Amino acid sequence: MTPDSIPVSPVSTLECRSCGAGAPVDEHFCPQCSRILALGRHGDYFAFFGLPRKLLIAQDDLERRFRELSRKFHPDYYYNASPAERLASLERSSYLNDAYRALRTPATRIEHLLAIEGLPSTKSEGESGAAKVPPALLEEVFELNEELDEIREQRESGADPAALASRLDAARAPIDRKREEHERQIDALSAQWDGVAETGSPAERRATLDALRETLLERNYINNLLAAIDREGSGLSALGSGLQSDNPKPKG
Amino acid sequence: MGKVVGIDLGTTNSLVAYVRDGEPRVIRDSSGDALVPSVVSLGDDDTIFVGREAQRRLLTSPTRTVYSVKRFMGRGIDDVKDDAALLPFGISGEAGGVVRIGVGDREFTPPEISAFVLRELKQRAEEHFREQGEFDFEVDRAVITVPAYFNDAQRTATRDAGRLAGLEVLRIISEPTAASLAYGLDKKNRGTIAVYDLGGGTFDISILKVEDGVFQALATSGDTHLGGDDIDRVLIELVLRDSDSDGVGRVLLSRPAETIQAIRKSVIQAKWDLSDHEQAEIRVEPQAGLPNGYRRAITRAEFEALIRPLVDRTLGPVRQALSDAGLEPNEVDEVVLVGGATRTPLVRRLVADLFGKTPHSDLNPDEVVALGAAVQADILVSGRREMLLLDVTPLSLGIETIGAVVSKIIMRNSTIPASGREMYTTSVDNQTSVDIHVVQGERELVADCRSLARFKLRGIPPMPAGLPRVEVRFQIDANGILSVGARELRTSVEQAIEVKPSYGLTDQEVERMLIESFEHAQADFDARLLIEARNEAETVINATEKSLRRPDFAEVTGGELTKDELAQIERALGDLKQVMAGTEREVIHEKTHALNHATRHLAEVMMNRSVREALTGRNVKDI
Repeated sequence: MTPDSIPVSPVSTLECRSCGAGAPVDEHFCPQCSRILALGRHGDYFAFFGLPRKLLIAQDDLERRFRELSRKFHPDYYYNASPAERLASLERSSYLNDAYRALRTPATRIEHLLAIEGLPSTKSEGESGAAKVPPALLEEVFELNEELDEIREQRESGADPAALASRLDAARAPIDRKREEHERQIDALSAQWDGVAETGSPAERRATLDALRETLLERNYINNLLAAIDREGSGLSALGSGLQSDNPKPKG
Repeated sequence: MGKVVGIDLGTTNSLVAYVRDGEPRVIRDSSGDALVPSVVSLGDDDTIFVGREAQRRLLTSPTRTVYSVKRFMGRGIDDVKDDAALLPFGISGEAGGVVRIGVGDREFTPPEISAFVLRELKQRAEEHFREQGEFDFEVDRAVITVPAYFNDAQRTATRDAGRLAGLEVLRIISEPTAASLAYGLDKKNRGTIAVYDLGGGTFDISILKVEDGVFQALATSGDTHLGGDDIDRVLIELVLRDSDSDGVGRVLLSRPAETIQAIRKSVIQAKWDLSDHEQAEIRVEPQAGLPNGYRRAITRAEFEALIRPLVDRTLGPVRQALSDAGLEPNEVDEVVLVGGATRTPLVRRLVADLFGKTPHSDLNPDEVVALGAAVQADILVSGRREMLLLDVTPLSLGIETIGAVVSKIIMRNSTIPASGREMYTTSVDNQTSVDIHVVQGERELVADCRSLARFKLRGIPPMPAGLPRVEVRFQIDANGILSVGARELRTSVEQAIEVKPSYGLTDQEVERMLIESFEHAQADFDARLLIEARNEAETVINATEKSLRRPDFAEVTGGELTKDELAQIERALGDLKQVMAGTEREVIHEKTHALNHATRHLAEVMMNRSVREALTGRNVKDI
């Protein structure tokens, strides 16, 4: 590790470090001297990719844009450039990779949209541990917890693991159905957002974002439940095969 | 500007390659051998031997000969205790610090040993370019490959080794992605590639997506402690079990290192034989540690049963990488085998079964990584744009938070360069510094992850507790190496960061070693000159004595030499013999010169005599 500092400045226009000209914040290259621009305090991954702020994105179009921008920014192609350009290339390709990671999957894409629209993150609530059960899930969560308690008890009294495993599968089914339902809801809300994103009233936009956030919170909760079931399952010796391999223990 | 090369710095063997006319090629020695064994040996007079010569010395000077040093790069003594038990050379180091390797009365860090190998490769390349008639043959820059699963400390150690060898390291790239570049050269196609790389000491699996010339790693996994070395160890243990029922541990203590090396050599031969034959023999000649010698037939089936657990250990990382890439095994279009250990039929069979297709092996699995490194080096300096490698960081990067829990900042398999930010504040009024501990790994607790570095954020402006907002930015560059920057956002004050690597060398240490290596280079050079001076002295002494002691001396010289002259010769001879054992090269030179001078007349006389003899005995025509 070497100490290094990467300055960030909260500005909406950039100054080209190569020629001193000003450039709009969404430009990657200086309109004046066409050299790569240092990264300002950006924040909008959609704009960085040249995309409208919409949620339904064609995966191969996103990938194609990612490859094209990679070819423009990557440090490999700035080996002989000035130190300022090399730093800009490093910053810009890092940012591109972060942006691509965020936009690649629908959930992280919505997360990012909520962030740039000024809504609080759904992550912080999920991780605080005090996440309250979403009202729409109360019934399922109650039943699942009862079932899990019973399975644990039976396991401790030495019940057949195979039987317990199938019981666990049965307990999982309603949660799986809920998740599928939520995936559909999220898709529908995403389409709804894309309709109001540019032309909707502020109230319409806000309502859609709030609904998206609520659904995402529920989905996070469901995912946590499913992870808990998986953990329970890996405690049963009959399970734990297939692709769910042991966590690799990095030795290095 | 000098030449640029690609280097595969392997556990067992290393290679150097370069690109000419768009084609990568490995550099071979005069006998056509591309592999330089990654072995370094220290002679009794501190001469450094590298490669084949050092490999020979494994049998004769095992305690002064270091091999498999890659296993120790960027590691601490606590990590390598298991390995050290079977190694004939000394391993030491403070707990929580860099491993030190004791050879004779000298001590080296792993990057210093690796630097000897790199210097040998550099020389080999320079010799090659000189022979090609290149005016500018100096090699000053290189791309060096590392296992994909190498962590920050291991990558940094590799870069340090390059610096110590006098190379500017343009880029550290991972071995499997390098191999995919070499394979992708003539194939403009698109698809998903799995590279299965089982080398001498490390195992890597990388899944890549190739499209429009962009080689994008999707996921990587591996084991930095699994390879051909382990197969050898299983076989060595078999021999030891066979020849002594006492159990492995005790036998090792009671057997000389020479014997272990002889066994090692014989099992490696048997392992190679079993790649092509159904049966082989492990045969060790009788010697001090093994008075009756050892012979044993081994079938391929027996061999496979022995190594099956090792090969099975590769399957976990393969499944992990596939699942991280979001792919099923049958969705992989091409499978590429890399590393000498993939010659083992069992490995080929298991990989073929897992992916449901025959793996590629049309390029030499020993050479493909170096070829890819050369291609990457060419991309960096030549401005060619048709290919781009996008690699990933193999391990998540995190920082220690309250309760010794890891808070992850950059997730594993993130495309690099990648960056992450974390906000810090103070807990006491007017606090001006914060301690930060950076770790790498997937586990939740700090104790289960790899400590990368600790540093202190200093220069925070004095403010009430909780008010400062210090943004720490972590940047992983295209080498997979981390750098850190920080800034207090309220005041925009840039923070000074002093990084202490946990298992690496500080910049100052590398600088010091560079200076020492120059000094030692001088010492090594001096040692060589001394040997040459002694050889020359010996030649002159032998020639003089041969003349003086010939039975017909009086007759030959015919009284042409005075008593004085003869006495002078005897004196000069005695003088030279006396200083020859010493280490004063100048004095040896001087006395050699004196003897030469004293015997000049004698030589003339002898010469004339021979000429006369020749003339009298023969016809003029014959001369």
